[in-house]
Amino acid sequence: MEGQTKPTRRSKVTSLQDAALLARGALEERPELCLGGLFKQSRPVALVRALLATGADGLHVYSSPGAGYDIDLMIASGAVEQVFIPGVTLENRLCPNFRRAVEAGQVTAHALDALTVVGGLMAAAHGVPFQPVDALRGSDVLKYNPLLREIDCPFSGRRIHAVGPIRPSVTFLHAQEADRWGNLRHLSTMVYADQLMARASDMVIASVDRIVPDEVVLDDPSRVTVPSHYVDAVVEVPYGAHPTASFPNYAMDEKHIDAYADLGDAARTGDRKGLDAYITRHVTGPKSQGDYIEAVGGARHFAWLEAEARNR
Amino acid sequence: MSAAVSPLEQMVVVLARDLADGELGAAGAAALVPMAAIALARELHAPNLTVGGEMFFNPEPGRLYPSMLDDRALGRCEAAETFIELFGHSHHGLDFFFHSGLQHDVYGNINLHHVGGTLHAPKMRGPGAANLSYCHTSTRFYICPTAHTARNFVEKVDFVTIPGHLSGPEAKRAAGLTNEGPRLVVTPRAVLDFDPTTLRMRLKSVHEGNTPEDVQRHTGFDLAISGDVPQTWPPTEEELRVLRQRIDTSGTLRA
Repeated sequence: MEGQTKPTRRSKVTSLQDAALLARGALEERPELCLGGLFKQSRPVALVRALLATGADGLHVYSSPGAGYDIDLMIASGAVEQVFIPGVTLENRLCPNFRRAVEAGQVTAHALDALTVVGGLMAAAHGVPFQPVDALRGSDVLKYNPLLREIDCPFSGRRIHAVGPIRPSVTFLHAQEADRWGNLRHLSTMVYADQLMARASDMVIASVDRIVPDEVVLDDPSRVTVPSHYVDAVVEVPYGAHPTASFPNYAMDEKHIDAYADLGDAARTGDRKGLDAYITRHVTGPKSQGDYIEAVGGARHFAWLEAEARNR
Repeated sequence: MSAAVSPLEQMVVVLARDLADGELGAAGAAALVPMAAIALARELHAPNLTVGGEMFFNPEPGRLYPSMLDDRALGRCEAAETFIELFGHSHHGLDFFFHSGLQHDVYGNINLHHVGGTLHAPKMRGPGAANLSYCHTSTRFYICPTAHTARNFVEKVDFVTIPGHLSGPEAKRAAGLTNEGPRLVVTPRAVLDFDPTTLRMRLKSVHEGNTPEDVQRHTGFDLAISGDVPQTWPPTEEELRVLRQRIDTSGTLRA
């Protein structure tokens, strides 16, 4: 076998722009996007901004049962047609653009619950035609939930619910670390529904705070939360979850989110100037994550968010 | 200990007294008051109470946070889980859980979806809710909004996000809600419970500084007050000391 060289394994590391174009292409085929993390933690916001900068629209957005800033920003940017997220809130206040767009009939917000979304992801991840759910009673959500069916349990004969597979076209995740092959390591306390989404989706793109050497993964394989088998592309994006948190690295930027929400509330009551300027400054304006970091306060600001993450 | 007891501190103490040693429960979405109540119960009479069912076990926050979905609040905890385990907990149920919403009605039903209009043409769209199961798979739950007005306590909610007692015993049975459901409604003004026969809300006690007439005026349905309404037992010296010195070290409940 003289002269034959060992073939090389393909790195999954890509740029933010290329990742966004990859996602855009898949979403044009089928617009079902899923976002990892939960409320203000580990949300793939840099990937969301990059996708918005490509002009994506008509999206159907899923998430773990709770989302806030990112879905609101996507709606403010006109990218969303339908929301399949049970709880949409900034926690300390309502999501202004979500509220405005749903009240104006521009966006459909389905009435759902956590078990429907998690169950649908479970069915897709496990490769089974549906997931039984037997803990939903009495809520008006059951009258409207578009993803549930009533079935007879083949064992007890009781009426229970079933949810079909939720198979996102693209899932965006944010983790703290990955190697170049796309093995993800969540160092935060919770992993949310990220592992389920990774197994349920056609395409998975992850942002990470940093790419680590292969040895870091090989020395501690039980620390890998999402094996590279499920991951199609990984992007190193410093502060890629901002303004949400990436614990233990940096805390959520509550002041930034509040200031954004004030602009959203102004838009809701008729003055969209501030919100449009916000989108230009943070979404369509920055040419790189470096530009974004400068736009939101630079190194000193992030040093403060890093210190805040250690402040327990 | 000289500072006056705040309405939120009074709420925390009432809720803590109702949690028992050895139970399993979680705080829910608006976690400030429930988490303080759980922590106070664990300190005073329920050292074996387990916090679980929301993807983490037994957190030890250094101070109170408005949301428990924050690693600063739960970064020190005994174990973490994922939504897969939450799916199981939701079916198995907990001993107790907490809820609050945009509207609460006379049967303890809670609305988080819309006020006015319809679901898909709402006058005001709310946040919705993630977990709709703990309210009936758990042994019981508590309603503890941090405001009590005639606008958020209404005769009938516009949308039942979280079922309480629906429209009474018959409806509850028909819907298969076999557990207790909402046990107490604890607000900044008063403690309310449910008539065991009709399952309608009634006034149980008023916090210091409130009269039954005040509470009725700030409630959008008839509380059917008859006879004397007792005053809520104020915090004991010990409850207040432990709450302020070991749990709410930053004074969030008094802000």
